Amino acid sequence: MMFRVPRSAFRVLAALWRLNLAEELQYRANFVASVLGTVFWIGTALLTLALFFRHTTRLGGWDYWEVVVLLGVFNALTGVIEAVLRPGIGRLASEVRNGGLDLVLAKPVDAQGFVSFRRLDVWHLTDVVLGLGLAGYALSRLGRVPGVLQLAAFVVALAAAGIVVYAIWVALMSLAFWFVSVENLSVLFDAVYEGARYPVTAYPGALRFVFVYLLPIAWTTTIPTSALTGRLGPEIAVAAAAVAALAFVLARLLWRAALRRYTGASG
Amino acid sequence: MNRVADWARRYGALIRNAWLVDLQYRASIVLWIIWGVTEPTIALGIWWSIAGDGQVGGYARADFARYFFALMLVNQLTIAWDSWYLDRWIREGDLNYRLARPLHPAHEAVAENIAYKARSGGMILVVWLVAALVWPAVRLPLAPGRWTLTALAVLLAAAMRFFISFATGLLAFWTTRATAIMGLHGGVALFLSGRIAPLTLLPPAVAGVAALLWFPYMLAFPVNLLTGAVHGTAAVLHGFAGQLVWLGLWVGAYQLAWTRGLRRYGAVGG
Repeated sequence: MMFRVPRSAFRVLAALWRLNLAEELQYRANFVASVLGTVFWIGTALLTLALFFRHTTRLGGWDYWEVVVLLGVFNALTGVIEAVLRPGIGRLASEVRNGGLDLVLAKPVDAQGFVSFRRLDVWHLTDVVLGLGLAGYALSRLGRVPGVLQLAAFVVALAAAGIVVYAIWVALMSLAFWFVSVENLSVLFDAVYEGARYPVTAYPGALRFVFVYLLPIAWTTTIPTSALTGRLGPEIAVAAAAVAALAFVLARLLWRAALRRYTGASG
Repeated sequence: MNRVADWARRYGALIRNAWLVDLQYRASIVLWIIWGVTEPTIALGIWWSIAGDGQVGGYARADFARYFFALMLVNQLTIAWDSWYLDRWIREGDLNYRLARPLHPAHEAVAENIAYKARSGGMILVVWLVAALVWPAVRLPLAPGRWTLTALAVLLAAAMRFFISFATGLLAFWTTRATAIMGLHGGVALFLSGRIAPLTLLPPAVAGVAALLWFPYMLAFPVNLLTGAVHGTAAVLHGFAGQLVWLGLWVGAYQLAWTRGLRRYGAVGG
């Protein structure tokens, strides 16, 4: 019952995103600004890597182009975050504060689904394209052509990564129900997610533990990249799917507990 | 003498006000501190693993640890968010009633900076002291003279970063992308001010360019002064001279942007 998705949900989603698209197409200059911004940030990330590799030949056992593949995956996920999560669920904290959430709860749709996917900032999807392009280029520089099995494992692990990132956002935003005064909870995500830019093996033991088990950002970049480059066998996709399912269920439970709190608070 | 007392009274009221406003958003401040701690922690983690048991450009693991702890503190004490405030003030018209007050709006911004930095810098200092209890690598030798010099350098760096942020925020009089420009500045500063690595680890050409600009003086110089990487009268004097020159230039930029922008703002408003 918890995960039943009615067919009408897809119709609602399609209608919302169609409206967003029409709205965004009025501001085409934003497209140029968005692409320039992405190119600048990919540039600084590559320069940072170049700086690290001036002083070493391997980062956590990964060589330069392997880390660039990871950077591409990171950027693709950032695109999904900026296109869907930040403009959607990212606004939740301020809505809990000013009561805007009442309007959402009054709608005859699943509140979590609506809050999460109500907006699509379509220009940021170019980050996904640029990120995957970078990953593909780095892969060719590595001279490795992934087999069908590896590609399939990568696709599954990447989808799992998207779900894990989503679950982290839901969990984080649910905190807004307890700490009402906090408007910029997304800052916390930005701060921690920086850690996903590098392979998790590059960190000292304590940080590695945190990134794999507590704030599972290792599953969002290190694991899909490892599946693609063949560093890990294709069976890792099964583990990734299991982690994603677990993260999703936990986030859903937290969301429900949080929502009960909101109802209680408003009367 | 009377004028000094007047200003002390004004600033006392402004700072108390800013402090009390911040106090309502305690959880927010904790968030910004976590944000301020994670970036140096991640950089430290990477350099820690690169250094291994050896040295990178003269830095062993313990040196990196001291560098990034000092960076964490100095960054928190010098960071200025004023671009984002000014951008909103100008775009949404909040600047109007601030202009009607008998006090220049910059004083309110300075008071806010003092209140914010006292609180967040104090908390970072506590984090550092607790870390030093269990982790000898991040302990600094007792050197009151050096700490006094660092305090002075931090003050100058904070003033410089305030005027950089304020002047860039004033660009909102002309463009809607003032905060994006500040973001680009932050991206360049990541390398040239020493946030990602000590400047001596940069390629010599890049470090050479940095030395010609204001970036090292807003962060790397006070940090190196605190850790002891900058020593000797000549190097210390050179650092302070650079800070003073660039502070003067940014104050000039701010004055230019303020007078020109206000003329333009008035013309738009009526």
